[in-house]
Amino acid sequence: MSENQTNTDVTKTPDYPEKITNKDLMKSWVRWWWANEAPHTFDRMLAPSFLFGMMPILRKLYKKDEDLKEAYKRHTLFFNTQAVWGGGTLTGITASLEESRAKAKAEGNEDEAVSEEMINSTKVGLMGALAGIGDAIDSGTVQYIFIAIALPWAAKGSAWGALFPFICFVLATFIYGYYFTKMGYSLGRNAARELLAGSRVKTIIDALSVMGLFMMGILAGSYVKVSSTLTFTLSKKTFDIQAILDSILPGLLPLVTVLAVYYYFEKKGLKITNGLLWLTGVLIVLAAIGIL
Amino acid sequence: MSTLTVGEALIIAIWVALVESRILGYATLTLRFSPLMTGLVVGLVTGHVGEAMIITAAIQLIYMGVVAPGGTLPAEPAIAAAVAVSVAILGHLTPQQAVAIAVPVGLLGSYAYQFRFFLNTFATRLMDKYASEANDTGLFFSIIVIPAIISFVLFIPLIFIALYYGAPQIAHFVNAISGGKVLHILTVVGGGLAALGIAVIMHVIGKKSLLVFFFLAYFMSVSLATLKISTVTFAIFGAIFAGLYVLFTSKKAEQ
Repeated sequence: MSENQTNTDVTKTPDYPEKITNKDLMKSWVRWWWANEAPHTFDRMLAPSFLFGMMPILRKLYKKDEDLKEAYKRHTLFFNTQAVWGGGTLTGITASLEESRAKAKAEGNEDEAVSEEMINSTKVGLMGALAGIGDAIDSGTVQYIFIAIALPWAAKGSAWGALFPFICFVLATFIYGYYFTKMGYSLGRNAARELLAGSRVKTIIDALSVMGLFMMGILAGSYVKVSSTLTFTLSKKTFDIQAILDSILPGLLPLVTVLAVYYYFEKKGLKITNGLLWLTGVLIVLAAIGIL
Repeated sequence: MSTLTVGEALIIAIWVALVESRILGYATLTLRFSPLMTGLVVGLVTGHVGEAMIITAAIQLIYMGVVAPGGTLPAEPAIAAAVAVSVAILGHLTPQQAVAIAVPVGLLGSYAYQFRFFLNTFATRLMDKYASEANDTGLFFSIIVIPAIISFVLFIPLIFIALYYGAPQIAHFVNAISGGKVLHILTVVGGGLAALGIAVIMHVIGKKSLLVFFFLAYFMSVSLATLKISTVTFAIFGAIFAGLYVLFTSKKAEQ
């Protein structure tokens, strides 16, 4: 009974952390979303943006000046992740960890509080893995599915070719990023397990991969233009190489080109600039000597 | 040879600075990775939206797979588009000639973007000071305002000079050299480079066993070309195949 009483007393003191609402989570997500890459440096990466996102929540949690300053400084350390899967989820998880730390401190249970090290190691431990998923899905797949759909409109001179993928990508990532923020807050550190090992996310990734590879096939079939201009004459009969190829398997040369570059990346790793220079060089030579 | 007016060059330069400063939030991810919106802005400013979109579509193809693990890109598609689309409109160049301009400009642009990271370090020092004081106004300045100013001071003059003084020269030069053989080579390179971005995405998605869906789509697209099926229809096919794949693989897992 007496224990209950002291608890209610503590929660009513002005130093006790305020409740974190959905509105606060939205505010933090929007602030992180906005600052995101603006203050990017090589030494801290996106730490300033993460702090910028957490500021309003930290201010609601830590009512003592020294605690607040300590919390602000905690989030100036090196931090780098992808904005939506990493940033959204970790904003939510960090809010929940900071809240339990702030409550424990306000109740005087300093020893049982979530430690600074715990908060930092959670962020640092998860930021890379979540960024890996996020880069592959958002930048590498979702973005290009929208672009692949709209590219023919652009090629015909329509402004929707630019507007459609832009609007769809920004809206979609904003919405599910906020969902990750809320999930991070409600599941705490379990949210990461849900994302990294959950079967639902694996299913979504598989489906997006199928869709992404399918759209790349469509694009390759329509927009990669490689054809041979080579002709030769044998016993007064002219052979047109491209016509012969088309009669065997239409679209063979563009496919060979895409697969050659793909295998280059599989063998050498994703060295885009090298791949670009090699492909340009080979195409120039083949065009100059009259094969293409 | 026509040139851009001071106003036109300045508006495009400010747009590029907005994108490269990343001050429009995560929306700048696709604004920076894809040349499409920048190409549209150049089209609106110069009054040639249709032409600009056709040229930008060709540039988009070589930058299809651009993703930036860790934040640095091997090229800056937005900068490449700002310059190459302007040059192509001024000089009435073909999309393939525009691609040939975009590639070197995009590579140079990536150095400017990395220089921005270095300059931002000064803002980070200020952030440390304001964080230890829990000074919210100071943090707003050091995290948002100062990095924005740094990028604007870096990118606006750079892009303005490239467009106002450089673009007519480049257009003139490309027109002068690209007769006959050179134009043929540029057309071959422009058409073949589209393979690069597509291969990058195939690598990034990274699931070899799913490549069968790439082949399925490739031969659907080639053999059904005469039917003029829209990409929205193909995207629906893609979604159905994705649904079927999930349906069958999850069934198997349950058994």
